[in-house]
Amino acid sequence: MTDNNSPQDLVLGIDTGGTYTDGALLEYHSRRTLASYKSLTTKRDFSIGIEAVIEGIRIEDPSAVKMVSISTTLATNAIAEGKGKRVALLLIGYDPDLIASFKMESRFATPHYHYFGGGHDLYGQEKEPLDLPGILSKVSQIKTQVDAIAISGYFSPLNPEHENRACDAVSRICDLPIVLGHQLSTKLGSVERATTAALNASLLAVLRDFIIAVRRAMERRQIDAPLMVVRGDGTLMSDEFAALTPVETIHSGPAASAMGGRFLSRLDDALVVDVGGTTTDLALIEAGQVTVGEEGATVGNYKTAVKAANLLSIALGGDSHITLSRDKKIAIGPERVVPLSYLAWKYPSVQKRIKILARRTWTHADPAWLEYWLLLREPVERDGGLAATPRHKRLIAFLRDGPKPLPEILKHLELLHAAQFNVGELFRQEIIGKAGLTPTDLIHVEGRYTPWDVEAAAVALNAFSRYQFCDPADFRRQVWAQTTETIVRAIITFLSGKRLSQTALSADDMGSWFFANSIRPSHPHLETRFRLRQPIIGIGAPSEIFLKDVADILHTDLILPEFHQVANAVGAIAGSVMVTEEILLYPKMSAERLDVIAYYAQFSDGRQEFESLDDALAYARRLSRERALSAALHSGANNPQVVVEELTDGLDTYRIRAKAVGNPRLTK
Amino acid sequence: MALLRVDTQRAYELIKEKITILELGPSAPLDEQRLADELNMGLVPVREALKLLIHDDLVVITERHGLYVTDINLPDLEQLSEMRLSLESLCARLAAQRATSDDIAVLEALRQEQASIPPEDNRRLFDLDHKFHQAIAQAAHNKYLARALEHFFGLSRRLWYLALSDLTFLPAAVEEHLELITAIKTGDADRAEQVMRHHVQNFYAQVQEILAQRGFDG
Repeated sequence: MTDNNSPQDLVLGIDTGGTYTDGALLEYHSRRTLASYKSLTTKRDFSIGIEAVIEGIRIEDPSAVKMVSISTTLATNAIAEGKGKRVALLLIGYDPDLIASFKMESRFATPHYHYFGGGHDLYGQEKEPLDLPGILSKVSQIKTQVDAIAISGYFSPLNPEHENRACDAVSRICDLPIVLGHQLSTKLGSVERATTAALNASLLAVLRDFIIAVRRAMERRQIDAPLMVVRGDGTLMSDEFAALTPVETIHSGPAASAMGGRFLSRLDDALVVDVGGTTTDLALIEAGQVTVGEEGATVGNYKTAVKAANLLSIALGGDSHITLSRDKKIAIGPERVVPLSYLAWKYPSVQKRIKILARRTWTHADPAWLEYWLLLREPVERDGGLAATPRHKRLIAFLRDGPKPLPEILKHLELLHAAQFNVGELFRQEIIGKAGLTPTDLIHVEGRYTPWDVEAAAVALNAFSRYQFCDPADFRRQVWAQTTETIVRAIITFLSGKRLSQTALSADDMGSWFFANSIRPSHPHLETRFRLRQPIIGIGAPSEIFLKDVADILHTDLILPEFHQVANAVGAIAGSVMVTEEILLYPKMSAERLDVIAYYAQFSDGRQEFESLDDALAYARRLSRERALSAALHSGANNPQVVVEELTDGLDTYRIRAKAVGNPRLTK
Repeated sequence: MALLRVDTQRAYELIKEKITILELGPSAPLDEQRLADELNMGLVPVREALKLLIHDDLVVITERHGLYVTDINLPDLEQLSEMRLSLESLCARLAAQRATSDDIAVLEALRQEQASIPPEDNRRLFDLDHKFHQAIAQAAHNKYLARALEHFFGLSRRLWYLALSDLTFLPAAVEEHLELITAIKTGDADRAEQVMRHHVQNFYAQVQEILAQRGFDG
């Protein structure tokens, strides 16, 4: 028995972002956010940050938690940093010369790709017999050198027979996991499908270990509930499905933020702007859903066939480094650093050093004194030779007793400039970190958000503006004007697909003039303005400050829902469970390929032949509906609803798509 | 088929491997908590995995003393060899009647790989032998037969590891594989059955002798 005051049907959303891991505990039906917690993301092992979040959110009755859902940048990061597993990609029926002539090999996402005879044509007919002995002999040779196998056949969505046969045979000669192209995408682009299969194979073990770690963290806190994972389009899938299709989690973090913004604001049409520590991400909500890109998602240099939210991400956030460019102009970002207010708050030695700056002369208070390096962790054996040179060792020893300003570090290492010293990898491996002046510090000075050392922020700001010969208040206005302009430009580019020309002639260009005059009205006769029809939903701690002027310039409202700081975590539980099942219908041609003699209905694991198109269509509608429904139930959807669409490319080929959507089923 | 929970599936694979390669030896007591710590997993998946392994006859549960790895003794070995002898002979017969060109390509690939491995690499040779037998079970195109054999293969793999140090992978065994493929290819069901029977019999005779010498009298 539970009384009315005790919350029921709790759900826990977790987002592991690039900077923070956020958690939010909600009452599902009332949408009430009961608690939230933020911890630093540990890129070495994401599960550490996740356990900290589950620990940090005090859950009185863990048995009341009925679902845990998680969004993660794990897949995206593993791809960008090349940390996926080694994959052999078997290409069946691809034309090596054609691939080479367009230099498409680099897009396959693995250096181990091999071509074999086989494949089908546009009508699903065998183009060439499958070279199974060739495939098996290659796999025998390489099976100890790779961790997974991906197979992609030419036109396999129309006829996956060769992929299936190859998979069946390869699985009998080795124990490696195998991924098939047609299971991940029914689109016909053969290179994207191969890339998607290879990436999926490389991520299988990565996502599996992640799910195991999350499950372990849940068990430690006595949470026994279904675990869902957010897809790149904001919908949910069960963890079992995620372990099979890790590639679908690409961009799940930004998609979750957008869904969270919608969930908290209850707006079905809006532009969601998520201002994080490192980046600002834009997404559009239309009719309650995140808009999905027509093209597949791109990660790093790889174009995939994965459906993902249409997003624009710019390297500007609360912790972006404020520096001077070569021509002494203020630059904000793209690098993310630790805010000085935080550093001074955490280290008294830094606080003292910064305060001394106030009494320094102009020449001894240049902005380089505002850049600090700090030791984040001791290098371990795993890092290899990273910290092996004498100079690296001296640097680490020097930083052991606290963060140091850059000029002191250079002096200690007998260097004139940081560029003389190769430290990039130490930063990338999070052995040392960088701190500096950031928008977050300016926000401290303005008293709008002050968890850390306000005085240190003020001294740092004064030193920087003195160096620029300007008043600190003026300097702050310049910074905010610049962030505003950057975000407005990003929004217009995101929505219109147009860019501002960056050429020298742009002063004469009407587009550039229109943009400038709309932001800073200067023309005596012409008034120009942009107006965004939808409101902006701001997400993330700094969004109020970053977005107020943006909304004014775009003549729209800025909506900051309660708990918008953790909307990303809220968004992890806000999506629906969705399963899509596609059946392709295409004509069977006569031997001379002149007449249509029948129709094929091709589904994921079989094919049926029909004399009439109507029969084929009726069959495909029924089968796709049944399959989508049962897969959605299986994937944890509660009372899923199915919509069947029919698309045709005009060439007598039809795509019957059944989408089953339902709210996630909570444990009773 | 319902999907297993991701962590249960993984725990199952890892514990099964530990039992097969005798890291968890016959009759060893199993402590759930210790296994969970070793695998860096929760207790729930470990418990579920152990249930599956009981089903596989690799783990036994006793009311008084809890969970153990199934022991190995000569009577059990005899019963196992009886089952494999008759089922695998049947398999070879059916394979000769039903094998597709894909099935034969798989068998050929395994044999070629086997031929390329130096005779002292016992472990890889036996791994390939295991795959060869599985591939013939698949080529028989009878799913119940294949499923039953999979169960017995799981038990016999452990025997190899037990006997591995004293076992020699005889060139004759590789010869027999070749003969089997030829028989299957030409559809000679009698010959296939006969070669397989002989092949399995030899293996068990060897294991039995080794175990008897070591005093596994059951």
